[in-house]
Amino acid sequence: MSYAYLFKYIIIGDTGVGKSCLLLQFTDKRFQPVHDLTIGVEFGARMITIDGKQIKLQIWDTAGQESFRSITRSYYRGAAGALLVYDITRRDTFNHLTTWLEDARQHSNSNMVIMLIGNKSDLEARRDVKKEEGEAFAREHGLIFMETSAKTAANVEEAFINTAKEIYQKIQDGVFDINNEANGIKIGPQHSPSNPNMPSPAGGGSQGGGCC
Amino acid sequence: MAVADPGVEVVDSSDPEEDGSTDVARVGTSSHSISKNGSPTKHQNGSVMMVADRYGFIGGSQYTKPEEEYRIPIEKLRKRELKWLEMFENWEKWMSKRFRKVKDRCRKGIPPSLRSRAWQFLCGSKFLMEHNKGRYEEYLRRPSDPKCEEDIKKDLHRQFPQHEMFTSKGGYGQEDLYCILKAYTVHNPHDGYCQAQAPIAAVLLMHMPAEQAFWCLVSICEKYLPGYYSPGLEAVQVDGDVLFGLLKKTQPTVHKHLKKQQIAPILYMTEWFMCLFTRTLPWACVLRVWDMFFCEGVKVMFRVGLVLFRLVFGDGGKLAQCPTLYETLEKIRKLPLHQLDEENIVQETLRLNINERDMEKEHQKQIQRRKPKEKKKSTKHKS
Repeated sequence: MSYAYLFKYIIIGDTGVGKSCLLLQFTDKRFQPVHDLTIGVEFGARMITIDGKQIKLQIWDTAGQESFRSITRSYYRGAAGALLVYDITRRDTFNHLTTWLEDARQHSNSNMVIMLIGNKSDLEARRDVKKEEGEAFAREHGLIFMETSAKTAANVEEAFINTAKEIYQKIQDGVFDINNEANGIKIGPQHSPSNPNMPSPAGGGSQGGGCC
Repeated sequence: MAVADPGVEVVDSSDPEEDGSTDVARVGTSSHSISKNGSPTKHQNGSVMMVADRYGFIGGSQYTKPEEEYRIPIEKLRKRELKWLEMFENWEKWMSKRFRKVKDRCRKGIPPSLRSRAWQFLCGSKFLMEHNKGRYEEYLRRPSDPKCEEDIKKDLHRQFPQHEMFTSKGGYGQEDLYCILKAYTVHNPHDGYCQAQAPIAAVLLMHMPAEQAFWCLVSICEKYLPGYYSPGLEAVQVDGDVLFGLLKKTQPTVHKHLKKQQIAPILYMTEWFMCLFTRTLPWACVLRVWDMFFCEGVKVMFRVGLVLFRLVFGDGGKLAQCPTLYETLEKIRKLPLHQLDEENIVQETLRLNINERDMEKEHQKQIQRRKPKEKKKSTKHKS
């Protein structure tokens, strides 16, 4: 299927916060409480529409355990968006956000859009991190924020799509150089920058965008 | 790369082909494949029950359909069992004087009834356990790092959830899994718990009691794959580079393609190597690979990895379907499992034009290459 853009996402956060479940809910619209844990990296993809344009999301789901951190770092390369996930029922996963954020900022391109996600919002009774705390953290660090439930699917679509909207807006504003693949954005095969229907590429370069 | 040859290889001239071919009989007619979706059910007295395959899986990608599994003719199996029993009797002698024969027999596949024992003999865990009586129990009694313990607990239900031993929370499978992983963190507090150890431990538990599985795990982590489960995963990354270097020799066009698309080895080999292919191959293949691994060490993993590349890309003709990193990775991750039968994969690994010297050379090369890189990195940080 053809698309106007391809965005690369990466999902990061402590082990057991529900990264793989969020991905599965988004790509397959189902919740699988029992699954093999992620070792290394898993992939998912889905097409969405923003502003009438088809956008393919290519999502990298990573292992959360600290031992894997050194290799997770190499996955940031070329990511346009990151979902930084914590578990609202486990404060330690919230406390580790700063480390994750440092890692993300250090190893990705500076324009990468980061969405902070407080997952497991269905477990209200076991809540350990207030929604306001998540909001405050996001505000302080310039992130978008949402609480989601991979189990009930609440806000899952929104989390992935709002991130894409933000990236799309950055392209419109000329912040992202879409001709530089290191930014995690690729132009679809039939949408070369010479196509009059496309927003004009930022950063000057007029050579054709990469195909997919 | 840690080549863990448990014995000295001595050329053995006698008995050229001990029990004829390595042929196996095929039950059913279709080629070996994996049930993709769901578990089989059987109606019995009106009720629906799960039926486990011969390995204990009740569904998922590891499930083997009974009509598609291979069975070795019973007479051949009995003959092999006798040979293995004889080896157990004089294990030291076999390992020191006739290792080549032991290796051949591992390559043919260890008889299922003796697999557990053979693995423990091969990896030396039997010896470790005998020389550390009471140690395992002691580890269980001793307190461990609470962070590790918490991580382990979170992972217990995420190991082969479709295997009958590990389906139920608090079941004996999950409980034993907790025990041996916890014991390991006491045994080796520096490495603590690495998530990739859990599937390894689970496979061991499918074959042997907890204490034996624990010492087997110790042997794998310390002797066969030292550094694999240590913080930073340096050893895995080195082996990833080694694998990639070897690929240049076996499939230069594929190597060039991956290089062009900047596909780092850790993107595809982390799970392969750290989990010893348990989450990649059909189960019958996993066991045959493990049989060889316990005898020959990590070089088996490299061979299997290279064979998988051959399976996916052939001689490179299929690369045209992979214009970008995404298609290429997708192809590597979605192996054509129907083409994988255990005999085939073993034979393919033996057919590769890669020998131990090549591996050792590549390993040294990668170690050398990493040295200046690390230096550069540290100076970069300083600036």
